[in-house]
This record gives sequence, structure tokens and C-alpha cells, in this order.
Amino acid sequence: MNIKIIFLSLILLGSKAFAQTNYAVSSIPKNLLIKAGAVVRAYDEEIRVNDLTDVVYHTKFAVTILNESGRSEGRMRFYYDKISQIKSIKGSIYNEFGLPVGKFGEKNFQDQSISDYSLYLDDRVKHYNPAVTTYPYTIEYEVEIKTKQSLFFPSWVPVNSTAVSLEKSSLKFICPIDFKLRFKEYCFSGKHSETTEGNTKMLSWEINNIAALRDEPYSPDYDKFLPMVKLAPENFAYKGIKGSFSNWAEYGRWMSETLLKGRDVLTEQTRQEILELIKNAVTPKEKAKLVYQYMQKKTRYISVQIGIGGYQPFPAAEVDRLGYGDCKGLVNYTKALLNVAGIESYYCVVYAGSFRRNIEDSFTSLNQGNHVILCLPFKSDTTWLECTSQHSPFGFLGDFTDDRVVLACTPEGGKLMRTPKMETKENAQIRTAELTISAQGAVTGKLTTQFSGAQYDNHDELLNEPYEEQVKKIGDLYPKLTFQTTQLQYKKLEDPKPSTIENLSFISNDYCSLVDGKLLLPINKLNVFDRVPKEVRNRLNAVYINRSWYDEDLITFNLPENYNTTFPAEKRIVDKAFGKYTCDISYSGNKIIYKRTLQLNDGTYPAEQYADLVNFFQEIHELDTGIITLVRR
Amino acid sequence: MKKTLILGLLALSCFHLKAQEDFQFGKPTSTEFELKKYGQDTSANAVVLREFGTAYISSSNSNLIFNYHVRLKIFNSKAFDKGQIAVMIRNQGGDAFETMRDIKGVTFYPDENGLMRQSDLDPKQIFKQTKATKFSDQVKFALPNIRPGSIIEYSYQIESPFIHNFRTWEFQEDIPKIYSEFSPRIPGNYNYNVSLRGPFKLSKNKGEVEKECYSPGGGFKVDCSKMIYAMENIPAFKEEAYMTAASNFKAAMYYELSDYTDFHGVKTNYTKEWKDIDHELKTHEWFGLQLKKKDFFKDRLPATTLTASDPLEKAKGIYHFMQTWFRWNGIRGKYTDEGLKKAFEGHAGNVGDINLSLVAAMNSAGLDAEAVMLSTRDNGLINNLFPVVSDFDYVVCKVNIGDTYYLLDATDQLLPFGLLPLRCINDRGRVMSLNKASYWIDLKASQKQSKTVSLKLDINENGKAAGTFSVYSAGYEAYDKRRMIKKYNSIDDYVENLDESLQKIKILKHDIQNLDTVDQSLSEKYEIEIDIADKVSKDRLILNPYFLERLSENPLKLEERNYPIDLGAASETRIIVEINYPANFEITNKPSNIGLALPNSGGKFISNTAVEANTLTFMNHKLLTKAIYSPEEYPYLKELYNKIIQSQQVDLIFKKK
Repeated sequence: MNIKIIFLSLILLGSKAFAQTNYAVSSIPKNLLIKAGAVVRAYDEEIRVNDLTDVVYHTKFAVTILNESGRSEGRMRFYYDKISQIKSIKGSIYNEFGLPVGKFGEKNFQDQSISDYSLYLDDRVKHYNPAVTTYPYTIEYEVEIKTKQSLFFPSWVPVNSTAVSLEKSSLKFICPIDFKLRFKEYCFSGKHSETTEGNTKMLSWEINNIAALRDEPYSPDYDKFLPMVKLAPENFAYKGIKGSFSNWAEYGRWMSETLLKGRDVLTEQTRQEILELIKNAVTPKEKAKLVYQYMQKKTRYISVQIGIGGYQPFPAAEVDRLGYGDCKGLVNYTKALLNVAGIESYYCVVYAGSFRRNIEDSFTSLNQGNHVILCLPFKSDTTWLECTSQHSPFGFLGDFTDDRVVLACTPEGGKLMRTPKMETKENAQIRTAELTISAQGAVTGKLTTQFSGAQYDNHDELLNEPYEEQVKKIGDLYPKLTFQTTQLQYKKLEDPKPSTIENLSFISNDYCSLVDGKLLLPINKLNVFDRVPKEVRNRLNAVYINRSWYDEDLITFNLPENYNTTFPAEKRIVDKAFGKYTCDISYSGNKIIYKRTLQLNDGTYPAEQYADLVNFFQEIHELDTGIITLVRR
Repeated sequence: MKKTLILGLLALSCFHLKAQEDFQFGKPTSTEFELKKYGQDTSANAVVLREFGTAYISSSNSNLIFNYHVRLKIFNSKAFDKGQIAVMIRNQGGDAFETMRDIKGVTFYPDENGLMRQSDLDPKQIFKQTKATKFSDQVKFALPNIRPGSIIEYSYQIESPFIHNFRTWEFQEDIPKIYSEFSPRIPGNYNYNVSLRGPFKLSKNKGEVEKECYSPGGGFKVDCSKMIYAMENIPAFKEEAYMTAASNFKAAMYYELSDYTDFHGVKTNYTKEWKDIDHELKTHEWFGLQLKKKDFFKDRLPATTLTASDPLEKAKGIYHFMQTWFRWNGIRGKYTDEGLKKAFEGHAGNVGDINLSLVAAMNSAGLDAEAVMLSTRDNGLINNLFPVVSDFDYVVCKVNIGDTYYLLDATDQLLPFGLLPLRCINDRGRVMSLNKASYWIDLKASQKQSKTVSLKLDINENGKAAGTFSVYSAGYEAYDKRRMIKKYNSIDDYVENLDESLQKIKILKHDIQNLDTVDQSLSEKYEIEIDIADKVSKDRLILNPYFLERLSENPLKLEERNYPIDLGAASETRIIVEINYPANFEITNKPSNIGLALPNSGGKFISNTAVEANTLTFMNHKLLTKAIYSPEEYPYLKELYNKIIQSQQVDLIFKKK
């Protein structure tokens, strides 16, 4: 017995000595030091599925912080909740030469709730960043987290920020031999391996030597350039629910049958109200619009992360009673109301945000979406509803959820659908302005601007605000102009497409400057293109423009009496694959007419064209900031 | 701006008061139902109709009981968030936690047909998060069915063992209030200093004696003074850019326990005179006693710093050593957290740990150093009428050398010797010395935010301009710049990024000096090349000399200001440009000469251009002499910026003769 123990501990000691890594900074390959603030020396993730309700994550991580700029890479944050527990944390700190100089453990960590604006959320985090005052140093830690769910697994992303390089990283997924793991590799050129031993199998991935990335503006979505592996189960357990899915059809069916089933019950009173509401409406679309507006008036959006980890909506009757809900609750409620009106609708999971991202066709997993919307499959007139806004026009999604693949939960199971794309000229900001210049250089201006499509809500922050507040804040929306508002008014149009009209009258005393008796007139203070991105030498990522849009400004300047300009009429066109800019300055009598258009074309362009894009924007910026000299006749 | 007045607690009027009661829950008046807009501020999205609070010391356990009740009108959807309530309650572990209970809520909302309906808060929709932060729990609830035109009402009670600050009553918030009333009941054996902040007057300020209201047992019975404070038509508080803590300006009533007499008639003083506080702090385990640990530092300071014969050099050496030794954990405070020894060995600590260590270390080296307690800008101004120790949230070191002194904060490596971080520049600080009485000093930035830019260019006929561009920064300007550069891996990376963000300019060489020598000004020198040929007309060259310093929009946007503009420190920028251009070119456009001054010598802006034998010299001077400008000075300051922007947009244009 005793011998056995000694033997065992020898093995342990032996393996420990063997595992001792050299953290000396001098042993970091030189190419990994270029543009790196930190180097991940080793990142080994092990996920062990003992059974569907017992999954253990073991993470070993070591990072060398080279200087102040990399310090945040040493920050450790471990999340936990009612079903995930942190079992152990231990770590050490090494100096430049790889010699241990300190240790830390769970007691060093601060513990706090992830307190956000949600009404309820029970997630918590333990965090710590050791205080080390001399660079470079290395932080090494091991953490074990045990969770009772197998519904989702975090993706393995060896490097996820700029200015960080990586020496080596591995992922090991260990599970019973009959557990089916589905996975998808991205930007991963290596090969995974699969081995079995007794009743368990192990899948593993490894990657070495990734040089630090730079921040490159106009990059595509990160899965287009970062190596990663996404994981998903086929059979899973989650808070007492068991299920399985391996494609979207099954996933959608699981959603409908487990999370949504029976949550659409409404009181008889509400049913009657809806029937009364729609009794005179003829077409399903008219009915749907009435129901949608009924829901908008009755509810407000509140973030509530309750229910099955934030995946299950509040029952419709609860939303009806409380008058509030989160996106899931409000979509489910609207769906239930439409159901009463005899209108079919689909609960749809979407990744929302101005940066478009699809639900992936080829890989089914949870957590690909962050929002839900509603789809009304009218014949040849599929209509989409955003249910969390009291002001969204019926059938309008805006740039939050437009033009992307979503998962619709239909009676036949899950189905991928695409939300409508708003074409370039629909995403428009169209402005006409008349500016009258005084001999002192002051300007009295009147402008009308129409915003639509993705630009529909450009100035929405002012909408529904009282006039005094609008006047106070409008200055921020025309930052180049210093002015007093004399009139401001907003109007919403619904037909044919939703748009916002802004009418603004103003006085600007410093519009033009007087220099040696000449008036200098900035040709465009209303819509200056200012966001010229920095150049990036040796760019790696493709150039990605997320959305097309179109701006048009037509300004008529009335010159002061006795003033004219010697500047010749001018027409400039900058035409590139990314877009087209025109500016046209002409004279007629004592007027200058300035017409500017700028169109941006969405798409992916080769990395080599990035310099061209910068030039394109730079040229626009220069033309936008042009100045015309007015001289006394 | 700040008006503080002491309310005579004991100067109770003799007329009899009818016992003031809370207004009835859930019974809005018809006027309240019909209110469509708040007449005094039609821009309000919501208004507090009535608000009532009481606070008293419980007879059963001497805890503080606070009852709160409010009724609001929601005019439009922008104020729906007023229906989602989150209350932080203190929880320091053990018995030291607050309890929130009796939460009631109701919404009155107009239904589809315009009829008023009532919907109660569902107790199941009340959530408590234990230990939401290290020292507090959070209680959250959302009122149901809020629509434009709704009235919401809620009330709750908080029981607290923390009686030191009694209960702060905030008369003013981000929405206006029609009526706000606070009625504290304070037993005669508790004595609080009370102060009212903000510019508004109480509409009601009454007091009466309530007989034997506090009877904690054992036959001990005390009378209470029952006060009623009320304000009417309190405007919404709106934050403005460049202002210090909102609490400096908001109308609110503050309490600080002054003394307490127990059952046996033994009196304990809490708020006292400075001499009492001096004594208390000198013997305080986490303050004075720590300062006495100077021997601890004797053999821990590097020998090189101690051998310096010049005291100033010695002080600088110790300061820079401590700056690099410690990493600040981001927590403010005037006391040490775990003691100087532990903090020093762990290289980390809060402000108290680090700066009290600095004081002790200075003293151990034979220098004369004192601790200065202060209140940071976010924490608000300190009470100048009576000593309130809890007002202070920070401590720094004052080292006296000869006739001068230097204020030092070692929490940040990038601060030069003698410059406090901007967060500390707030009114006055109290110097706590181990061997003499404490005293006040003014906290002013010791250095201007200052920058000198010089540009020298030679232009050739093809429109290529080459030359040098240098920037010297000092004070907060240098601090900010160093911070920015440190965000990059190296100086080379910083310059590469700078080069990439200046589209028309190529940086050929660079030389950045004193990045880590923080006591000296930061110097950047760049050898640059610019293409200034006009793309349209080959005979024209265009250059805007402000390519790094150009202000594209006015930072001051409001038409008028209610509160002072606090820029933290005075600032100064000088730009000197010298351009040699080819003999066959002439200048057709250049900025006019400008000289503008602010009233009361508050600052100026001067711009001068001169041409002599194919050399253009351009000089520009911007000076703001004050850290704080009054609302009356605001229009001038704003106009100064307008003129600066105007002058900066004028390009230099050269044309072939």
C-alpha cells in the first residue's frame, strides 16, 4: 500500500517537473515580439463532459506582459452563476527571467455581480489583475469551473485581441464515446486529432506561433480572420431540460416545443379586445398593423434575464398583465396577440446590431443570436416586426436587424430566412438648404432633411423630446456649425417607406470669416466627411464595408450684395469601387449652388485596396472642407 | 455657487405643529390625474408630484428607520425608465447591513379608451441581489403598465445600523419636483450637524418637540425634535460639460453626527473641533499610527536617494521611487487599507496606503512631510463651516523644503514631482501634521497645461514641403501625452500610428525625449515631408499650418450656462511657424492678425502673420489664465473658441507669380 502511494506521488512530482515551463522572456520567438504588448505563452483549454449534467472546464493560461500597453491582458475574469461553479483558482507570477516571484489564489479575487440595467440577473464574476510594477512579467494560472449544463460550450479562440501574440494553445474535448460533438473550424489550417481510450474519446486542436495583430479599420467580422473552433452538442441537458439538435430544423423544433410551447395563452378579456380591435380590418396586413400598434401602446421594453437562462420568454399573459417585457417576452406576446387575430407569425432569433452578422447556415448552435424579432409570412409580402420599440413603424426593422440570416421557428421546425435588405438609395439622407450670407459673414439658414432606411433614425435621439431639449441638443448633430436655432420641427412619414423629416432654421454669426475685406465661405459645414481612417501599412485583412448608404446635399447660398467670387465653377467626381462622390459648384446671379452626393457601396474588397479607400475618404474630406473666397465688387 | 447654511436644530419655534403625516398612498388627486405638462418646465418628461420621507431612530434597536414615499407623473415614453427602480443598500457583512422592506408600488394608467386603470406592483417582481458590489446589495423592481400620462407611486422602508450620516435627503434630481418634504425625528441625545446645499430656499422649515418619542428601554426616555423641511417647485438638475461633482450644486440636506449621549449620560463627540480631529487622526490606527512607521522605510529606500545632500533632490528621489514601487488599486481613501507594511510588501494599495507610505518615507529620510486630506472633484466640495471628516476621500503628501512646499501623489507614475492629478484639484485640503495643529491649504494645479509647437518648413516649386515639427508639452498636457504614448508598445509604434493617421504627412524621423523623465517637459521632434500642391491648379500650393492642433468644433455648445466651467487648470498653447517658399511664388491667402482678450484678464488669443523676403512667420498664442470660469464669462469663452476655429480654417495659399 505504502509503496503504491510513493510510486504515485513520484509520478505526480515527475509530471510536475516535466510540465514546468520556461517563462523567461528571452525564450519568446522574436517574431512574436513585434507590435505585441503581451505574449500568450500557453493557453490550454480542456473541456471534459462526464455526463450531460456534469461538465468540467480546466484552463491553463500563461501570459507575459511586456509593457504597460499589455497590462490588461493579465486581468482574469471568471464568470459563474447558479449552475456553474468555480472549483479552484491558483496562479503564479514570474519575473523577466522566468523565476517565480509570487503566488495568488481565489482569495485575491474580487467578487461581484454583473450588475447591469437588467431587472434580474444572477450572474457573477470574480476578477483580479495582480499588481506588478516592473515589466516584463508573466502571469500563469489554472482555473477549474464545473457546470451542470451541456447546452452550449464556449468557442475556442486562441487570440482575441490586437497587440497580443501567441506561442501555443490547445483545446482538448474529452467526452464519453457516445457523445456527439459537432464543431466548426475557422481560419484554422491545422488538423484536429481524435483518440479513444476505453469509454472516452478525446478531440484535440493545437495552434502555435501567431504574431500580434494590429487594429485594422474596415475589417470584416472576426471569424473571417481569427482562428477559432466553435463547438456544439447534439444531446444536451440544461436546467432540467434534456434535448437534442444537430441542424436548424431540429433546433427550431426544440425551441417551439420546449421554450415557446404554452407561453402564448392570453386571458379571455384580451382575446376579446383583439377581436374587437380588428373587426373592421379587411386584409391580414391591416389586422396585423392594428395588433402591432396595440402592443406598442401597451408595453415597454425592460431587460429581464429570468427564465431558462434568458432563453425562454415570459408567458404572454404575464406581459399582458405587467405591460413590460424583454425582446423575447414582447415578441412572444405579439405572436400570441396575432394568433388571436388569426395571423401566423414566426419567432425569429437574430444577431442584432448595425454590424451585420448571419445565423450560420452550416453550423447549428445556441448563442448565435442576441435578439428576437417577429416574422409575418404573408404571401409574397413577408413582413418583419421589431417588438421592443414603442415608435418603430409597422414592418420596419432599420439597421439593427436588416439584411441578414435569422432563424425562424416555424411549425415545421427551424428555418433560416433573410431579413430584407435596404438598397443604397433607400439608406438616404437628402437635404436641401438655403443659406443667406450677410456682408458681415453671418448666415441665416433654412434646411430640410429627409432621413430614411438605415439613416431613418440618424436624428432620432431628438425625437419625442420637448422642444427646449431639442434646441439644446441639435448643436451636437451639426458639430461644425455654431448657431442659434430659430425653428426646429420633426415629422415622421410612413409611406411609401418610413422616413423622418427635419426642418431647421438657424442663425450663425460666425459662419464666414472676414480676412482683409474678403469673406471666406466654407462650402460645406452641414455634412462634412470627417472619419478618414488611418493608413495601415502591410494590411492583412480584406476591406469590408458593412452597409451601403447615400447622402445628398443641395445648398443654395445667397451672397451679400456687391460680393462675388473669382472662383471658377467646378465639378468634381471621385468614383471608386467603394463608392462615388460628386460635388458641383455653380454660380447664377448672386447665388452659389453647391450640390454634393456621396454614395458608399457595401462589400468586401481586397486588402491591397485599403490605401485606395483611405485616399477616397481623404479626398472627400478635403473637398468637403473647401473654402470659397468672396470679394467685394 | 454653493450655499450652505446651518439650520438651527434647537431653535425650535414655540407654536404648536400639527403632526405632519405622509400623504395617502394610492390616491392621486384629480388635478394630478389631469396634469398634462408641468407648467414651470414644459420640457420635463416626468415630474415628481409629491415626495415624502421620514427618518428616526428606532426605540427597539437604535437603528435608523427611513420611510420613503413618492408619486410621479410620467408625461412621455422618455421617462419610462423612472418606473424601473434600483436601490443600493449597504451591506458590510456581519450585522452591518441595511434591510429594505414594505415595498409597495402602483401605476395608474390611461387605457385604450382613456379610462384610468390601476395596476399594482407584483411582489414577485421585486428582486434582491445580495452583494451586488463589495459593500452593497441591490433591490430592483419595475412598475407595471406605464404609458404616457401614467402616475406611478411607490414606497418602502429601509432599516439601517449606519446612523452616522443619518439620511441625506435629495431635494433636487434629474426631473423637477412639485413638492418634496422630509421629516426627520431626532432624539435629544443624538445631535447632528445639518447642512443644506444648493441655491434654493426651503418653503417650510418647522420644528416641534415630540415628548418621550425615543425609549430604548431601561426607563430611558428622551424627547425628539421633529422637523419638517420642504421645498416647492424644484427645477430639474441638468449636468453640463466641464463641471465638477453634481453634488456641489444639487439641492440636498446633509447630516453628520455631532454627539451622542448614552443612557448613563455619558456623551460621545463625533464631529468636533479640528483640535479633536487632529488628536483622533494622530492616534488613528489606519492614519496617524501608520505615519509613525517611518523606521520601517529606513532600510527600504534605495541608498542612492538617501545620500543626496540637496533635500529637494532627496525628496524627488523618494517620490519617484515610491511612484514606481506601488501600483494603485484604483481605490480612493484617506486611511490605509491593510497597513503600510503589508501594502509596501505587496507593491499595491489604495490611495491611503500609497501616500501615507510616501509621507512616512519622506520623514524617515529626515525630510519634513505632512499628510493632506482632500476631497476629489467627483466627491464634491468639503463643508467649510464645521469639520466633517467623512467629506474627505483622498490623501496626498506635502513635503516642505525651505520656504516652499510640494504636493505629491505617488499613485501615478506619470505625474511629475509637485503636480497633483486633476482629480485632486478641488478647493482646499487639510494638512495633518504629526507635531502641530492641522490647517488648510488651497489646492491649485502647480503647473499650467502648456504646449509649444514649432514648425519649420522649406517649400520647393513642386509643392513638396520638408522640415521639422516639434512639440514641447508640460504639466497636464505632458501627462496626457505620456499616457497616450504609453498605450502603444513602443515609441516607434506610437509614431507609426501617428504617421498613419496624418494622411498627407510623412514622418521621416522622430525623436521623443523625456518620456519617462516626468519632471521635465516632454519633447517630440519630427522630421516631416508634406505634399501641399493643389491637385487642381498646378500653380497653387495650399497648407494649413494647424495640422496637428486643429480644433474642428467648439467644445462649448450650450447657448448659456448655469454652472461654472471648470477646466481644472490654466492652459497655454504657443504655435510658431516659419515657412520658406520659392522666390517665384507669392502668398495670396493668409490668416488675418487677431488679438482677442477675455474679460478680467481671463485669457487671450493672438495670431500674427508676417512675410519678409520669401519667409512667412506665423505666431499664435492661446492663453487661458484661470481654471474656473463663471457662467457670466461663458459667452466670452465660447466666442474665443469660435474665433480660434475661424482662424484655423484659413489656409495659407501660395501662387506662382
